[in-house]
Amino acid sequence: MTDMPRKNFWSGVGVAAVAAFLLAWVIPTFGGRGFAIGMPPKALATLGAWLMLGCAGLLILVSAIALKRAREPFFALPAAGHLWHQTWPFLYVLGFILLIDRFPLTWVAPLLIGGLLLLLGERRWHVVLLTATIPAAGLYGLTAHLMRIGVV
Amino acid sequence: MIGFDAILASFAAALHYESIVIILGGVLLGYVVGVIPGLNRAVAIAIAIPLTFYMSPYAAIAFLIGLSKGTAAGSAVSAILLNTPGEPSSAATCLDGYPMARDGKPRKALKVGLLASVIGDLLATLLLIVVVIPFASVALKFGPYELAAILIFALVFIAAMAGGSFLKGLAAGGMGIILGTVGLDPETGAARLTFGYAELMEGVPILPLVIGTLALAEMFVQLDEYRRNKGASVIKLSHDKADDLSYQEFKGTLPTILKSTGVGAFVGALPGLGPSVGAFMAYGLAKRSAKDPDSFGKGNPNGIAAAEASDNAVIPASYIPLFGLGIPGSVSAALLVGAFMIHGIQVGPLMLRDHPEMLFTLFSGMIVASLLMLAVGWYGLRIFARVTSVPPHIVIAVVIFLCLAGIQVQGYGTFGLITVFVFAIFGYFLKKFDYSFVTFLVAFIVTPMLEMNLRQSVILSGGEIGILLERPIALAFVILTVVMVLHLGWSSYRRRMQARFKARAGR
Amino acid sequence: MKMKLLTTAILSSAMAFGMAGAAQADEFPTKPLTLVVGFGAGGSTDIQARVLANVLEEELGQPVNVVNQPGAGGGVALARLANNTDEGYTFVFGTSMTITFGPLSTETTYQLDDFRYVAGVTLGQSAMVTGEDREFGDTWEGLIEYARENPGTSYATQTALDRMIIEYIARQEGLELRIVPTAGGAGMAPLILSGDVDFGYSGGTHSGYADSGEMPVLLSLAEDRLVAFPDAPTVQEAGYDLDTSDFRVVVVPKNTPDAHVERLAEALEAATQDERFIEITEERILMPVHFIGEEEATEMLHAQSESYRQLLKAMGGVPDDE
Repeated sequence: MTDMPRKNFWSGVGVAAVAAFLLAWVIPTFGGRGFAIGMPPKALATLGAWLMLGCAGLLILVSAIALKRAREPFFALPAAGHLWHQTWPFLYVLGFILLIDRFPLTWVAPLLIGGLLLLLGERRWHVVLLTATIPAAGLYGLTAHLMRIGVV
Repeated sequence: MIGFDAILASFAAALHYESIVIILGGVLLGYVVGVIPGLNRAVAIAIAIPLTFYMSPYAAIAFLIGLSKGTAAGSAVSAILLNTPGEPSSAATCLDGYPMARDGKPRKALKVGLLASVIGDLLATLLLIVVVIPFASVALKFGPYELAAILIFALVFIAAMAGGSFLKGLAAGGMGIILGTVGLDPETGAARLTFGYAELMEGVPILPLVIGTLALAEMFVQLDEYRRNKGASVIKLSHDKADDLSYQEFKGTLPTILKSTGVGAFVGALPGLGPSVGAFMAYGLAKRSAKDPDSFGKGNPNGIAAAEASDNAVIPASYIPLFGLGIPGSVSAALLVGAFMIHGIQVGPLMLRDHPEMLFTLFSGMIVASLLMLAVGWYGLRIFARVTSVPPHIVIAVVIFLCLAGIQVQGYGTFGLITVFVFAIFGYFLKKFDYSFVTFLVAFIVTPMLEMNLRQSVILSGGEIGILLERPIALAFVILTVVMVLHLGWSSYRRRMQARFKARAGR
Repeated sequence: MKMKLLTTAILSSAMAFGMAGAAQADEFPTKPLTLVVGFGAGGSTDIQARVLANVLEEELGQPVNVVNQPGAGGGVALARLANNTDEGYTFVFGTSMTITFGPLSTETTYQLDDFRYVAGVTLGQSAMVTGEDREFGDTWEGLIEYARENPGTSYATQTALDRMIIEYIARQEGLELRIVPTAGGAGMAPLILSGDVDFGYSGGTHSGYADSGEMPVLLSLAEDRLVAFPDAPTVQEAGYDLDTSDFRVVVVPKNTPDAHVERLAEALEAATQDERFIEITEERILMPVHFIGEEEATEMLHAQSESYRQLLKAMGGVPDDE
């Protein structure tokens, strides 16, 4: 619970930054042009961005006060190892998405499942093998034969 | 007009063993398809329509009805066990179903969901039979003004009910609104925030967004926890001995089921709102009227009951404007029109005159399908509930695969996979920093409808706000929204003052 | 173990490539096809497409899956098709108007020349419609008179084209209209039936109300009077110099091999003679089935595109994009 105000503070800063970026550049540039009688094309997106900015601003204010009161530091960097620990699963999945782009999913899937199991410390080979092949084979049977979709 | 004999005869037809077999086939196929994350009702029906081409009109319709009910039940199973809704409207079921299943009570969660969905479905079907013709035209009283007012009400209501920090919830809602406007502008046709991608012209595809923020993101969170506590699983998977639904508990959820069915039927009868709005509205209402609103989102059976009852009540109710006026109120209804047309039946107000036997056979088929779904689901959940006794790392790996597979099978292609991935990162941050993804999702779903209805209202009224005085229903919802906002503001202010008072007293 | 997995991967990818290679040499089609509908499920285009897919499935001997990609009056489906490279396995079933008028009115990523037009299949039956028991009755003259006296008469639009047509008419007749955007026929119907909007454009939804008379047709936007509503005048008969007729056409990307296009055209021609297709299209959706070959279809589309260009010029640019 103690690091909640700090979490709020920094996530607020993040959201405010995104909202400001959207307001200052993205929405004016890509928001869509044209005159409309009903509502300008950008109206709702702009409203949403202001809502984000406003809420994030208030959140920053509230959590900053809470931090000050509790006399807690504003900065507390996570360990570098922890950061890597959190990032690699994303990279793993992204890598496989690139593979799926090239090869049929039913061929890639056993590697995706099996690889992840090995990384997670599963060493019983029969478990790895069965978990890797059964779902992929099942999906193949269902889609290719029962539903006749030719994409996997 | 149709006599009582004809109605009886149509029931006899629906109870014939042949038709039961056909409906059962539809329910089973739908159930299997529904369990797979990402495959939904629309896909199942669209794929099955060609299959039905060679059946008799009655068999075809019965099969499609069975299929549609089956997918609904199956979709709830994956929502509860894996946090991966088969269709967007099951997202509300995840909110309480998944925490409950993780808590070692998957069977209870599945049973509540199943019973709620069958009851919601049955009651809404009966409602359809009673009111379909005489009252269908009431739906026409809900024009753009009313729909816009209802959507605003729903948005504010759900945002307020979502729980967690109100500020953070609103910020997430802001993001949902922005993403909801992506695509071609309905009035000017200008491309908005598409960055030149044709795939974004019809908006951010909803299924990759939902699967990404809910399911895939959850898997990343779990991966994180699993590895942090290497060996010792943090996810409780012990099978609770008491994991069953007692009659008392079921009775406790009954009021919620009935109320939520009402909400679902109301939303379904208005063309254009759809099951997602219905399910989230019912969830919000259940939370609002509960004695212990804080237990929602942490595995409250009432949360599951509300979402499922309403989600399933929307579908039969959406046939009210279909058979009464010829306007399909939901995607399922639209697909049904297609199926009827292929078999030479024009759906609409004339159906009662020209094909009354067909209409009543359809109704009785719906009831039979509902009951069969109960049977299939009851036995199915015994098998599926075991998913939670599988070691977490296996579940994580397989679900990641299923998420990607669902998107691929739907034909979203690489763009869909990247979208899922981006929203998985987004959802991961929402979870890590405790932002409400409910508000985000609802804002995203509601924004396009709201924008269309708002524009229509503004143009039709010529910008005069006074028009509201001539539209009492719209006015009522606007007032209701304002009252609710004021009430929320006041009660949260009071709570804050109380908390401060307590803190001072404690010091 | 890892070694073994790697070998499997290499083997399997090699097999995948091998299969792709073999597929190209074989007779088209060797795998399931995808028929893309640029409109939502349940609309008249969608229903027709599903029947067409069924008939094509028999003709081509491969499954034909129907996929809905609604948006921008069919424009989204075409924009995606323009970047498609699977040689005729994916094709769009849509209306000619999306192709001829779309690129003129909005910034589309596709042009008329980006596609080949395999064949036209049915003639469109779009119309200006209204509801029952309106003050101005159910005639076009009645409406025009009413709209002149009542500035702010409302009109429900679905596409950029019908928006331009109504603006052209409004200018010629000196009307001041409120033009309301709606999402497809299912979005337009409640507004018209409830009386919230006075009249509107309908692509085919009105056919569903032909027997009940709840949605009378004011003006036929087809080349001839509508089959189901012979009393409503055509655009030309009402005194407007416009060619608004459209037809439903099957579209593939430009780079599709000739052999594939020919095979598809053959199957489509057979489909237009198929009883089920004719029955559902002519008797349920009330649209005349009419086969138009690739050459003729392409010519018609170019001519129409040119006439819309002239019209846009006369209107002083795109009406809704200033």
